[in-house]
Amino acid sequence: MTLLERGRNAPSTWRGDLPVTSRYTYGLAGERFFRAIKEEGRILGTRCPCCEHIYVPATSFCERCLGELDEWLDVGIVGEVYTFTLLYEDPDGSPRESPETIALVRLGDGGLVHRLGEVEPDAVTIGMSVQAVFKPASQREGSILDILYFRPIGR
Amino acid sequence: MTANIREFPGTPLSEKDFAEGKILFNYDELRGAFAWDNGIAIGRYLAGLKDGVILGAHCSTCRKTVVPPRIACEWCFRPMQEYVPLGDTGTVSTFSLCYVTWDVRRVTEPEIPAVIEIDGAAPLCGILHLLGEVDPHKVHIGMRVQAVWRPAAEREGAITDILYFKPLEEV
Repeated sequence: MTLLERGRNAPSTWRGDLPVTSRYTYGLAGERFFRAIKEEGRILGTRCPCCEHIYVPATSFCERCLGELDEWLDVGIVGEVYTFTLLYEDPDGSPRESPETIALVRLGDGGLVHRLGEVEPDAVTIGMSVQAVFKPASQREGSILDILYFRPIGR
Repeated sequence: MTANIREFPGTPLSEKDFAEGKILFNYDELRGAFAWDNGIAIGRYLAGLKDGVILGAHCSTCRKTVVPPRIACEWCFRPMQEYVPLGDTGTVSTFSLCYVTWDVRRVTEPEIPAVIEIDGAAPLCGILHLLGEVDPHKVHIGMRVQAVWRPAAEREGAITDILYFKPLEEV
């Protein structure tokens, strides 16, 4: 066995695991946005009077004019599918039996990226109206997953 | 920035705010599994540790032995001549007393990482490891130390097959 050969008993790789954990706080506007979802089942946006723009999710500053935003409004729980995609793999890369439908749902001048439910992937169209389906209030924990999915509503 | 905001006090949070649910947050764990290719020389090195031997590599051109072993000489870029078993004794080249662990916990008994020049390797060629069985305040550069090995049955071909280095003489 020469110097340039791998040893027969030599481990070829070193395997390890990095313990990376994180705790993300949502910030001032995010806190209020998620509190509204958790406690009232409402989706809030903020409006910039200068730019005539409604931010969803709510932000505390306008991205266009950098003005402070203090006009909060309920944008409702119905939006329309702006675009969507079908996911055939889970986040860990394993194949799914049936695809998951993820859409950008327009609310105000912004929107939320979320799951679509109660609909066959073939039936999803751009522009269709969808409504947020919330978890029961007692089970909500102030997360975007307090919304289970968006489901189509009759047109 | 708007005229309404003159101060930027921020929002200080304490552990209590999280525990009592005063603040919403998202907890996450990233998947950090990895496989690092040992390469030829480090593979041999780890296999050697499993057998209780510290391996170096010798360059016959530079007449230099380095540890851990490599397949090419860093000085002349020629292939190394051979792997050579070294002793498990050495000399402390530099060290530190660490009162904070890798995951940022305070400890009262310090960990003592040290670079140990292994006997049989060229001067200044050493490996980073821990010192043990020693009073932290008596550790000094030039101290003679010897490897304390994990029992053979428990070794797995890892640098931790050496538990730590302990002083050879009374200090």
